Amino acid sequence: MATPLIFAAMGGLLSERSGVMNIALEGLMLIGAFSAAAGAHYTGSPYLGLLIGAVAAGLTAIIHAVWCITLRGDQIVAGTALNLLGIGVPAFLLQRLFGTAGRSPAVDRLPSLTSGLNVLVPAAFLLAPLVFYFLFRTKPGLRVLAAGEHPRAAESVGVAVDRYRYACVIASGVLGGIGGAFLSIGDVSFFTTNMTNGRGFIALAAMVFGNWTPFGTLGAAIFFGAAQAVQIQAQATGVPVSKELIIALPYLLTLVALTGLVRNSTPPAGLGRHAAAD
Amino acid sequence: MVMTARLTPPRTTRRLALALAALVPLVAAVPTSPSAFAQDDIVVTMVTDTAGLGDQNFNDLAKRGLDRAVEELGVQGEVIESTEQADYVPNLTQAAEQSDLVVAVGFLLADAVTAVSEQYPDDRFLLIDAAPTEERDNVEAALFREHEGAFLGGIVAGLMSKTGKVAVLGGEDIPPVERYEVGFRAGVEAVAPETEVTVNYTGTFGDPALGIEQSLALYDQDNDIILPVAGATGIGSFEAAKQREGTFVIAGDTDQSQLGAEQQLCVVNKGVDIALYAAAQQVVDGSFEGGVLDLGLANDGMGLTTPGDQVPADVLAVVDQYREAIVAGEFEVPASRDELETFEAPVLGSPTASPAATPAA
Repeated sequence: MATPLIFAAMGGLLSERSGVMNIALEGLMLIGAFSAAAGAHYTGSPYLGLLIGAVAAGLTAIIHAVWCITLRGDQIVAGTALNLLGIGVPAFLLQRLFGTAGRSPAVDRLPSLTSGLNVLVPAAFLLAPLVFYFLFRTKPGLRVLAAGEHPRAAESVGVAVDRYRYACVIASGVLGGIGGAFLSIGDVSFFTTNMTNGRGFIALAAMVFGNWTPFGTLGAAIFFGAAQAVQIQAQATGVPVSKELIIALPYLLTLVALTGLVRNSTPPAGLGRHAAAD
Repeated sequence: MVMTARLTPPRTTRRLALALAALVPLVAAVPTSPSAFAQDDIVVTMVTDTAGLGDQNFNDLAKRGLDRAVEELGVQGEVIESTEQADYVPNLTQAAEQSDLVVAVGFLLADAVTAVSEQYPDDRFLLIDAAPTEERDNVEAALFREHEGAFLGGIVAGLMSKTGKVAVLGGEDIPPVERYEVGFRAGVEAVAPETEVTVNYTGTFGDPALGIEQSLALYDQDNDIILPVAGATGIGSFEAAKQREGTFVIAGDTDQSQLGAEQQLCVVNKGVDIALYAAAQQVVDGSFEGGVLDLGLANDGMGLTTPGDQVPADVLAVVDQYREAIVAGEFEVPASRDELETFEAPVLGSPTASPAATPAA
């Protein structure tokens, strides 16, 4: 349950750490989910499908980057637009490419290592240490952090803030796309309209809950995934509690976690601010 | 937001084309079939619920009825998909602006239809699965006796479960889903009182990935047959059944063989397409009156079919006995949880099928 959340949340983390708000994760996941299914359909290979999904979502993220970084548009508006795009474009392309509405043809799934665990699951867990190492132990990573904390200071010492931001936003697209692909060609074997069902926003919450740190975000994503799993098991085993309450459990836990446990939530200081003087 | 899946050219172009076409016989006095023009004017627009087209289920079934009306009655068919509940009123309004018959697919559109149908008294509305919340002359309500069809599905599940545990996977807990749930439970109780029925709800009709997880959990709890009543979420039940040996799905509403013919035990058919076609026909021949279309086993509005022939004949014989008893009015299938509490399953005359009945596959 947590895997797609982890990918998308790490993507969001990279983007926001570089100083660009990214509420478009939901849309990027949908683009990735659709493109992966379409790619797997046309190439016959789920691996190529995964690649195509990641690339397509990365390309879509460039729209966000151009709007937010180069054109200095409103980052929330751009993100909302991409989320709408994520619903509309796949619906349109389903009609054009496959002549179907709402659902793509069935494709081959990513192979499972063991029952229900495909190759993306361990990859998701490796992602957090990788992102941590990149951001806090490498030169480009530290520059990303500088761009996110104080863009003008970073600029003044010669960091090409906009270039780092572009890279991070595109990376968030790629990771969000992989998270979406996990749903369409990992969990199921086709794309359905709006199949992410809010997971992009939960990933966003995981990032905030994780206080914009890789391991915190990983933990939060696992927590949200586990809450959903508890909900499912509670119903399946017939725990005698009203189903409305059980269904609401993941969301209740999220609320409790966000209000009760997040004490010192500190977003990157330069989030949403531009490098050059306005 | 509004997504319009057009089955016909854009509205303005079409209007223009229609206007020109209408002028042709006047100006040139070319003799043409009058009915061709008369019926071209009739536009039927269906507004989906949030599950949208491609749910392999309810909305697709309505679309099939629309396609048939387009083909056989020569009406113009359009579809407007809703992505969230806030879309219902604007989508219905747009549909009312452009068409003669507006089809609102789903219980959740009832309030919106009640509001919009008052604004457009000259338009006709078909509301599927619900009655308008206030009396309307221009609204026809297609109400199905899902519990009757699900009762037969429950008989199949009760007689064929090897583990003695079966489950219902609901989307949102709304009356038509409740009727499915209750009818199924009553059917199981009638033939296999010992069999345990677990009822789960996902809270959404549009999340197949969640449907897989929930179904896997149910199968892992030894339930071997699931009846999903959850729109696109229910697609996940088929995917889950593929991952677990010896587990099956009873499809709701329509044949879903394309999702897994081997996993599909039988289908509880719901004639949404029949209702839509019937309403379109009434509009075409001018007999549309509003009121209620009452669809159940008696008039083939509901039914049970076995596309994969996975149900042995002795089980089907029991199904037929109960079907006949229901049609003949010998007993009422409960339609709500309250009615289920007091329901006493009738034991029909002949001996029941052997409990060792196994799927043909």
